[in-house]
Parts: sequence; C-alpha cells; structure tokens
Amino acid sequence: MLIFTLSPLGRGEPRPGGPPYDAKIETLKSMTAVKRAISAEIGGEADVAMAGGGAAAPIRSTRKILPIVEGVVLVAALLAPLVLQDYLTVFATRVIILALFALSFDLVWGYAGIMSFGQALFFGSAGYGVALLARDLNVTNIFLVLPAGTLIGLTFALLLGGFLLLGRHPSSVIFVSLGTLTGSYAADRLARGWYYLGGQNGIPSIAPMSLGSYDFTEGPAFYYLVLGILVVVYLLCRFLVRSQFGLALAGLRENEQRIAFFGYKAQHLKAIIFTIGGAVAGLAGSLYAFHEGFVWPNMVGVVVSTQVVLYVLFGGSGTLIGAVIGAIIVEGVSFWLSDNYRDIWPIILGLLLLLVILFRPLGLISFVLGERERVGSFGAKPKEKRDAAP
Amino acid sequence: MANAFVAAFEILSFGAIIVLIVLGLGIIASMMGIFNFAQGEFVLLGAYITYLAYAKGLPIWAGMVAAPFVVGALGFVLEALIIRRFYAAPIVAMLGTYALGLIIREAVRGLIGGFYLTVPEPIGGSIDIGAMHISAWRFTIIVITLLVMGGCYLLLSRTNFGLRMRATLENPSLARASGISTPLMYGATFAFGSALAGLAGALIVPVFSLYADLGLRFLIQGFVAVMVGGVGSFIGPVAGAGVIGTLSAALPWVMAPVVADVLVFVLAIVFIKFRPQGLIAGKGV
Repeated sequence: MLIFTLSPLGRGEPRPGGPPYDAKIETLKSMTAVKRAISAEIGGEADVAMAGGGAAAPIRSTRKILPIVEGVVLVAALLAPLVLQDYLTVFATRVIILALFALSFDLVWGYAGIMSFGQALFFGSAGYGVALLARDLNVTNIFLVLPAGTLIGLTFALLLGGFLLLGRHPSSVIFVSLGTLTGSYAADRLARGWYYLGGQNGIPSIAPMSLGSYDFTEGPAFYYLVLGILVVVYLLCRFLVRSQFGLALAGLRENEQRIAFFGYKAQHLKAIIFTIGGAVAGLAGSLYAFHEGFVWPNMVGVVVSTQVVLYVLFGGSGTLIGAVIGAIIVEGVSFWLSDNYRDIWPIILGLLLLLVILFRPLGLISFVLGERERVGSFGAKPKEKRDAAP
Repeated sequence: MANAFVAAFEILSFGAIIVLIVLGLGIIASMMGIFNFAQGEFVLLGAYITYLAYAKGLPIWAGMVAAPFVVGALGFVLEALIIRRFYAAPIVAMLGTYALGLIIREAVRGLIGGFYLTVPEPIGGSIDIGAMHISAWRFTIIVITLLVMGGCYLLLSRTNFGLRMRATLENPSLARASGISTPLMYGATFAFGSALAGLAGALIVPVFSLYADLGLRFLIQGFVAVMVGGVGSFIGPVAGAGVIGTLSAALPWVMAPVVADVLVFVLAIVFIKFRPQGLIAGKGV
C-alpha cells in the first residue's frame, strides 16, 4: 500500500490527473466473472480513497471494455480460417505470429518503458537457430525446436539486456535504445556476411515442424497451433503484468527514480522483463521460421525491429491486446493495399504513424479504452510484493 | 609504400565522409538533445537534389550549392510544425523523427524507383603524386570537410549567432529572460543541422550513387559516432566520427570485412557503456 499513500507526489507527472492504481483483485477469468470483478472494484476504490486521502480521482463506474475487446478478437481469430480462403489462412497465420512478436515488444516498451529498437535480434536469432537445428541436425520435433527457439531468444536478451541495463551506473534511455538498435544492425551485417548462415540469401527451405510423424505445413492446423500458443502466452503475460511485478513495472515506467527510492532494484526489474520479452520474441521467431520455411538477414535487422515498433504504437502500447490489434491492422491493411498501392503504402504508414504519435500517443485502442482501464489494476496480496521484486 | 599511402588516403577520405555526415547529427543531438532519425533522409534529400540538378541538365555544382539551402529550409519548416512538440520526451522524438524519415525515404523511393542512379563527379580525374593516383573528388571532399568543420567551429564559438545558440541550449529560461527568441534559435539550430546533412548528401552522391537507403546506411554509424564522441559539445561528435570512420575504414585492411564491420559496433558500444560521457565530456563548443 506504500505506493498509494505516496501517489499524491506524482501530480505533475507526464500523465497528470491519471487515476491512481486501484488494488482490486484481478482474476484471470475476468472475462466470465464480471460480477465478481465489479464487487472487488468497489472494495479497491475504498482502499485507495482511504490510503490516498483526497487525491483519489473521482470515481466513475465504467463498464469493462478490455475483456470485450479481447473476447471479440479471440472469437474473430477462432472463426477466421472457416471463412478465409486457403491463401488468406496462411497470411493470417503469419499475422498471428507477428502479433506474438508484437506482444514481446509491448512487454518491454509498453510496460517497462525500455525502448528496444532491436527486438528483431531475438526474433531473428531464434529463427536462425531453429533453421540451423533443422538443417544441420535434422531436429524438427515441435517439443524440441520451440523451447530451443525460446531459449535462444532468452539467452540473447539476457546477454544484451544484462550488458546494456545492468551496471554500477544506470544507463540512459538513449543509450539503451541506440544500443539495442546497434546490436540488431550488427547482427544483420553478421548474418549477411557469414557464409555458414547463408549470407544474403539466408537459409532456404527449412523442413516443416513435426510432431511424431505429423508435419505442420501451412494451413488451418498450423493456424490453430499458433493461435493456441498466442492465447497461452497472452494469458501468461496478462497474469504477469497484473501481478505485483507488473505494478512495480508500471511504477518504473512512470517514475523510475521513485521506484528506486522504494528499494526496488529498478535495473534488475528492467533486465528481467527485457529477458522475458526476448524469450517471447524467440518463440515467435522460431514459429515464423518454420511457417515461412526460410530465414533471411532482414529478420534480425533494423527493418523488422522497427516494424514491430509500428505495430505496438498503432495498436496502443501498454495494453497487451493493443499490440495484437496493431499487428493485425498494420499487416492487414498493408496486405490489402499491396496489390494496388504498393508504392505509396509505406508513405501512408509513415503519415499515420506520425499522426498517431502526435495526437494519439496511446494508440488506436485509446479510442475505445479509457485511461483508467488501460492502467488497470494489480492483484494479489500486498505481502507478496517482496517476493515479486527481488 | 605506395600501397600504404593509398590505404591511408582511403581511410582518411572515408573518415572525412563520416565526419561530414555526423556534423549535423551531432549539432542537433548535442545542442537540442534530440537523436534525429530523419537525419539519414536529409542526407538522401541532399543527394536527390543534386541528382535532380544533374538530370535537368544544370551543372552539378549548382545542385550541390542548392542542396544545403533547400534541406535547411525544409528542416526549419519541419521543426516548426512537428519536431517542436517532441522536446519534452527524447524517446518520442526518436519515434516521431523515424516516422518523418520513413515518409521522406519512401517518397524518394517512389520518385527514383528501386534504381541505383549515378551522378558524375564535378571534379573528375585523379591527382598524381609520382606513381600514386588518388581520386580528385575524394580529395575535394576532404578539403571541404575541413573547411566546413572550421566554419562550424568559428560560427559556434566566435559569432554572436553562435553565442545566442549556445545560450539557448544551455539555459533556455535565462536566454529568454535576456531577450533571445528561443523558438527561433531552436528552429535555426535544427535547420543548420539539416543543411549540413543536405550538404553531406550532395557531396557523397558521386561516390556512393543515389539509392533510397543511402541515408539509412550512415544513420546508425552516425549515432554510434555521436555517442562515442560525447553528446553535449560540438567537438565531441566530430572526434567520435573521426574515430568511427577511421576504424570502419581501417579494420577491413587487417581482418575479414564481416568481422571488422561488426567489431566496430561492438567496440563502440562497450566503450560507451564504460564511458557514458564519451571521448570528450562536458558542454561547450
């Protein structure tokens, strides 16, 4: 409860007038347990009002929109292969994988405020890793390659994040963002020049992912596999960012110094979430490599790194569903326009991005989602705070 | 001996090109605290204007003279319309300028197609010193770089304009209280930085030929150079650019180019990590 009592100090922060975090108990099943959530919300409000004195924002009773948005997206995703033609299902699979990738960037930027311009490094290195496994060792078993990809992403993120973020002096945000950008660019150059990795052409014709004797080829089966993975990862992330750890992260994003004064090891928190983001990106990268059937240097480079930034900024950083929606919209529109307007689409994309940054910094999701619900609520008992933040 | 001399010249001329590109980037980063992701596209625009002049049958040098003014004017307008909103948040500034750069780059790509367009050197031929031949145009670039560097230094350290610029950037409220129009100074600084990028683009286009990703290629090198040199002064980024340019041109002579390429970046990041203030710390010219 310490944070709530001190929250009046936060007036005049970048988001003035933002509601204080309420402490209501979030359940994972809030989609189905709306009633329970509402009663808990009332309890939470009372808590805040008591602890924060007069600083609590006026209480608005709002219907919860986030679960509705999530539900709509899930249902749409479930039904998509039934109505789409075959080649569109293949495209939809790619979008779902990219949404998973966007999720990883959203964790790092939207929740912890670390600008990672090199997220593709983890995505692509995992892709290259599993491609090498399939090419040189003939390993395509789904239970081996996906954990391997995740592990590769995690390892690279741990190394790079540990180097950039940890240390005696906290690194500046500029250094971290340029450091990740440089890392991704260097990896791109390395992949282009290294003969073992296929040079400019990358690694073509990767064998399909297999489960026993069944091969996952492009199509509905692959789509539902990827969608299942996305839902599981999404729920895990949702749990993570709504936990006490997520509360500490949100504090970190809003005011790093104050979180440090509370005794949290801010740099360690950042390194942890950066590593988790890297692992998710690695999982997405290994799926992408098997789905596309080839990997090429762009996949680790600046192009894909900035692509994922676009998804999340469009959709709305700081909400998990925003990242997913952003990936779907950007990829969908670019697919739709690519036939006739291939040349001007990147210009439109740049203009839209500029408009979003200038006028809708919280992304498209902020059209339907209030500030209060975006910040959300953080569950679990106060006692667990210590355990969650090492 | 002759080989060593040619190598030294190659290294020097590449270093000069990097310095030329980083000058504008460094001025904007040091003086305004913004890492301008569109800087590479300003370089591209400078190159494109030179190409346009050439394609329309005008003398190439006319395009090269026009490029810095046109790009500088564009920078001034963009600062007033867009960049101005970003001063409070450096990360948002990165994203915003990235979006700007994307628009410019794709617009130019649309105009020139996916081609590599060549522009001839305004001063062709080579300079012969005994048995050695060095490109006259590359030599001219080195000379112009030195002149521009000296000119920028004098402008910032010796003139009234430079004094007001530095005053604005060091303490805006005091500068305003002293009667300096700070918005105008910010605009002028940004325009000056963009003009330098335009000049760089105009000068390097005969060497690298014109293609849409021309600016992108130098952008990350430029950022790394600014960080290595140290943000906050004029001399810092220039020194950093000298180091990075020399290293990236010299290392391929002694090891595999792929390794050299990556090694420069790794060395630079490690250096910045352990010396965040850069080669030359502190404010000033």
